[in-house]
Amino acid sequence: MLFRVDPASAVPLGDQIAACVRGALADGTAAPGERLPAARELADSLGVNVHTVLRGYQRLREEGLIELRRGRGALIVPGATAPDRARLLTRLREAAAEARELGLTDEEFLDLARAGLR
Amino acid sequence: MTTAPLSAALRVPTRLRALAALPFVLAATAYPLLFAVWSGRLPDPLATHFSTGGEADGYTGRTAFAVLGTVLLLALGAGWTALVRRGALWGAWLTAGLLGTLLGLVVGDNLDAADPARVVSPLSNLAVAAAVGGVLALAGHALSRLVPPEGPAGAEGGAGPDAPRLDLGAGELAGWSRATASAPLTALGLLLLAGGAAGALFGPWPLLPLAALIAVPGLALARVRVNVDRHGLTVRSMLVPRPRVHVPLADIAGADVRQVDALREFGGWGYRVRAHRTGVVLRSGEALVVRRGSGREFAVTVPDARTAAALLNTLAERRGRL
Repeated sequence: MLFRVDPASAVPLGDQIAACVRGALADGTAAPGERLPAARELADSLGVNVHTVLRGYQRLREEGLIELRRGRGALIVPGATAPDRARLLTRLREAAAEARELGLTDEEFLDLARAGLR
Repeated sequence: MTTAPLSAALRVPTRLRALAALPFVLAATAYPLLFAVWSGRLPDPLATHFSTGGEADGYTGRTAFAVLGTVLLLALGAGWTALVRRGALWGAWLTAGLLGTLLGLVVGDNLDAADPARVVSPLSNLAVAAAVGGVLALAGHALSRLVPPEGPAGAEGGAGPDAPRLDLGAGELAGWSRATASAPLTALGLLLLAGGAAGALFGPWPLLPLAALIAVPGLALARVRVNVDRHGLTVRSMLVPRPRVHVPLADIAGADVRQVDALREFGGWGYRVRAHRTGVVLRSGEALVVRRGSGREFAVTVPDARTAAALLNTLAERRGRL
């Protein structure tokens, strides 16, 4: 899968790396069950800090898109629903960014999201 | 996707095939002759499997062992004749020398034995076989000069304008990484190990280490990770970090994606060296092909190769501009 990050962007590099995995999963260039490159390897490829990559991987783990296994690296969660989940998470982030642009506070955005669930 | 003309590189001279078949034909002729000449002096069954101390612990019928050995030599000979290339002719002679000598020595150990259980096969047989194999390998290498070198590959310039590119911002950092596995290589490796184990049970025990020697590197290559980044192209086994294949970005003249046929273009799976191309060939199908500064090609079969080629071309050009 392709990783591309822009240090000039306002988005933290770790989040950009997470977005690459989400995007690859959503468009099918990465498959459920696939193994991600080791954090150290990817950091060396991109020329960024290992901790930056690990922050990105940690975010993906919190979102339930990857599993981190000691000594075995990062694995995209197996199962057919992972791509759909990645698409949903991408849209959620887009919505959050749009809300910020509109000047909404986090609390207001969450209220709207809750209202949307009812 | 382009398909390069392959006819030039594929044509194997008849003389080369004959030279590859020759050592096997000789061995497969000499081996049954041993049985004919020594027919009255060999026990039946023969001691054909030995403990590490050299004492016999496995037996095979005389006729069965003669047929088995001859068929094995002929089968290997057929394989080498079909897939031989000029730079590997020595391998055919090495294989025939090793196997032929081992078979012959085991039969020789049985000579004049009243009781096959008391036949002893010294470990030095292995050293003798290795020495004979080595000498024959040298001979095979010398004989390859009788065959003219393969013709030059089609010369092409840098990455063509229709080669894939990636729309990458000037300050953007990018890398591509993909894990890929080979079903044929895994199957062949496991089959070879199983065959070696079975061979060691019923035949000469050195078959097992011999099989492992070939199967283990094959299995290590069966799962690889392909990386494309600011350093260039790197292919390494997922099991061990080294050895790896690395093509530095500075050495990349162009990259493209192509459909490759493992058997037709590379004569099999694994790490393959051909006259003008090298490859890590895990399956037939989509491959990332890079042209090096020297004109040689390096190919690795990997899914999503188009993205990898696009990134390589873009990175190589970006580097050229700096």
